[in-house]
Amino acid sequence: MSRMAVETLDNESTIVNMGPQHPSTHGVINLRLQLKGEVIEAVDPNVGFLHRSIEKIAELTQYTGFIPYTDRIDYLGAMFGNMGYCMAVEKLLGVEVPRRAQYMRVIACELNRIINHLIACGTMSMDLGAFTPFLHGIREREKVNDMMEKICGARLNYNYMRFGGVSLDYMPGLDKEILAFLDRFERFLPEFNRLITGNEIFVQRLLHVGVIPKETAIHYGLGGPNLRASGVDFDVRRDYPYSVYPEFSFDVVTGGHYPGECGDSYARYMVRIDEMRQSARLVRQAVEGLPEGEYLAKVARNPVPPKGEVYSKVESVRGEMGFYLVSDGTDKPYRLKVRTSSFCAMSVMPEIGPGLMVADMTAFFGSLDVVAPEVDR
Amino acid sequence: MLKQYFKNIKNASTSIFEGLAVTLSYMVRKPITIQYPDRIEKPLPEMLPPTFRGILEVDTGICTVCMACMKRCPLDTIYIESERDPETRKNYLTRFDIDVARCMVCGLCTEVCPTGAIRHSTEFDAVTSDVINLVMRYVQPGDKIPAYKVSKEEEPPGVPQNEPYCRLKKQWDAPAPLQPDEVRGAVRWKKQTSKQEGR
Amino acid sequence: MKYLFDSLTANWNLSPWMTTLALVLWVVVITAGVLVFMATFAGFTSWVERRIAGRMQSRIGPNRVGPFGGLQWLADGLKCFLKEDVIPKATDPVLFRLAPYLVFPGGFAAFAALPFGYGIAASNIDIGIFYITAITSLVVIGILMAGWSSNNKWSLIGGVRSAAQIISYEIPGGLAILTVVVLAGTLNMHELVVAQGGWPWHWFIFRNPFTFVAFFIFFASILAEGNRTPFDLPEAESELVAGYLTEYTGMRFLFFLFTEWANVWVISALLTTLFLGGWQIPGITDLGATIAAATSLGKWFWVLLSVAMFFIKTSALVFLVIQIRWTLPRLRVDQLMIMCWKYLVPMGFVTLLGSAIFLVLPREGAWAWFHLSVQGIMTLIGFAIVAGLIGRAWYNIHALKDRISLENWL
Repeated sequence: MSRMAVETLDNESTIVNMGPQHPSTHGVINLRLQLKGEVIEAVDPNVGFLHRSIEKIAELTQYTGFIPYTDRIDYLGAMFGNMGYCMAVEKLLGVEVPRRAQYMRVIACELNRIINHLIACGTMSMDLGAFTPFLHGIREREKVNDMMEKICGARLNYNYMRFGGVSLDYMPGLDKEILAFLDRFERFLPEFNRLITGNEIFVQRLLHVGVIPKETAIHYGLGGPNLRASGVDFDVRRDYPYSVYPEFSFDVVTGGHYPGECGDSYARYMVRIDEMRQSARLVRQAVEGLPEGEYLAKVARNPVPPKGEVYSKVESVRGEMGFYLVSDGTDKPYRLKVRTSSFCAMSVMPEIGPGLMVADMTAFFGSLDVVAPEVDR
Repeated sequence: MLKQYFKNIKNASTSIFEGLAVTLSYMVRKPITIQYPDRIEKPLPEMLPPTFRGILEVDTGICTVCMACMKRCPLDTIYIESERDPETRKNYLTRFDIDVARCMVCGLCTEVCPTGAIRHSTEFDAVTSDVINLVMRYVQPGDKIPAYKVSKEEEPPGVPQNEPYCRLKKQWDAPAPLQPDEVRGAVRWKKQTSKQEGR
Repeated sequence: MKYLFDSLTANWNLSPWMTTLALVLWVVVITAGVLVFMATFAGFTSWVERRIAGRMQSRIGPNRVGPFGGLQWLADGLKCFLKEDVIPKATDPVLFRLAPYLVFPGGFAAFAALPFGYGIAASNIDIGIFYITAITSLVVIGILMAGWSSNNKWSLIGGVRSAAQIISYEIPGGLAILTVVVLAGTLNMHELVVAQGGWPWHWFIFRNPFTFVAFFIFFASILAEGNRTPFDLPEAESELVAGYLTEYTGMRFLFFLFTEWANVWVISALLTTLFLGGWQIPGITDLGATIAAATSLGKWFWVLLSVAMFFIKTSALVFLVIQIRWTLPRLRVDQLMIMCWKYLVPMGFVTLLGSAIFLVLPREGAWAWFHLSVQGIMTLIGFAIVAGLIGRAWYNIHALKDRISLENWL
């Protein structure tokens, strides 16, 4: 009998490595779990496998040349990286963005939010063992991806926004296509809910699992749906308005009125589902009120902003995404710091993780909707 | 307590019933799979919208040798060399290489091109047995292509916008012969002239 | 199939030891036949499952190898046989190699007692259902062995989960079987079918409300014993990487999966035999007498018809088992135990008791009408559920403004 096997059967706790190659860690993340039986005693998230030193690359690249890199910070919410970075540079340059471009940005961002949440809800159900809802989500996402090809030319790494606007004007008929998708999407969501959200097994797997209390969520700096599911009514789009968001009406979805507890995995899941509805509402308003005009303001080809520093933040799909940009008056940034919410979501795991079971861990991890490249950057 | 017990049973059975109804309904719906690459009606590049950012392609006939694309590229993907004839004072394009393997199809180079000489095709399947074949060579060694002059009166004969442009395919089938040393030379050049000075 | 052997050899006038030899040969032939059936079916099911799963997920599924991809399973099997047989260094070499071969008979031996048609069973054992319950629990030993010997923590958790799960679910499963056995008064699979009838209201599932519930209890527990979703905790892909299968590759890996797919058939065949009237043909009250009275060609006709009935019912259940797998998420370990001990076991006792009460109720006079109306109502409820499912599916298609399309269906 091999000795190792005997040792693991001792009454002591076991340490297992969940990841970096594990089906439910969604990328290269390592969680060291200390197990007693199936119950977790301690979690040690081990990040850094996907570090690409994006902040350093920014210091070596011209301002415009860095836009494609912002796609790679969070590949599922690439629009928000574009948006935050472009807003920061525009603030430095003092560029006014045309209204049409602002509307187009909002449409692109909210479409991106819809497809990210589809993936988030789908992968979460996949973590719980149901594969079909994931592919149904992917199928609807594919429709948006096809539209994204027409909007900006790419399916994943959009590189859509430029300083002072967006890179492409709409193809003729695209607004109608977006509206048609929204019609279908609003019918699709109830079906998705019938398939998985209402499923009793699914609900029971998520209720009261990984409860993040309000104070903990604030202290750890969580953002987005994770924060709102804990009952914190905070949304950058509403509380620190940017772009043309104040012109639209939308609700900030918070947890607390769902079955179970405020801040459990089910609340996080449901906040995402309801946010998709709000995003669809926003896209509809923006497409219907899309003004005519320029889609790109006149900005120098290789802009050299004046000395100064600026912080801009957007409500990314995973919460507040901030860009702190320092310019020394050359054509390259002196320093760029990206603040992402996935990192905070990872840091909350040692606090909440102990006491969960291995199966709960995948549910909890899935409900946090962590994207590995956003953690490491 | 007992009420909750039976409620749980009822919830479980009705929700499982609903889920089964959804999956059953998909048995008779149309799958969305596109059976790429062989069982499709027309080649996929033709099905993509003209805005799609595929592999870069260059129409050297209308290239002004302004090198704006080379300067704009954040990854030093493009390498252009030009030569000025000392007698006629005319500019000639002697080298135009695009390393498709490095390219991240961001599309920044196409936006600065004054004539639309460099632009994205809708091709995307750059499959090759050797990564060297991915260096697209638009000017054969020894060739000299006169630089295009933009005249103020007439529009540049660029490709019409919003129309797919698949001249690349022909070139793709027979990639330009390229020696590994040449590629390495190009890479070395990039390192030397890299704009990355330390601070 | 002893009777077939007897009828064949009756005119041969063999000496006693020749008869014994012939009997041994006969057993070998039958075993080979069952093995071939099981192998083909398990492979075929893997293709069917992938096609159905694909369809449910708006995909197509494997459709390239052979007609409609129907030979995909052969290609996959061949691939697995040609793969390198990796045995990690830190494993327990003997147990690691042995485990797949212990799992395999658990699935395979159950085929011996399944009645595929009138008199078409490899062996008509008097304690048939008991034998199948016993032999299928052999699987747990192999799985536990695999989990332990792999020397991988994920594998170990999977193996232990499997042991806890399969042993727990024996109890509600056994209770549900008893519910039927009480009604039929026999453990013999053949006689269990004979005790039912051809029309749905003669089936045990619609015999009374308690057997109706017992059907679902049995369904749940046998799914759990076969490690199918929503009870696939031992190999829970998203939690335990692949559970007890983590370290297995190639042929050994295939043996586990093989058993799993063969189990799909066993599950459905058991449900058919116990609850859905097995091979009974609607309109024929006594198939045995009908066959006895028929000509030699007619005999074959009736036997084949009974086999067809069995296959139709079982295939429908195979579809249901596959559909459930691709619809439901997985339970957690504690929920699995709660479901077993708090829900299925008490309900199993209630169904057993209720069914027994129905049994002692008199069947004469007005009571006959009572029994008949109960059966009728239960049948109506059963058909209402099926019709409701189809209607709901219809609604789903129309709610999304989709059209019915059978494109790439095969």
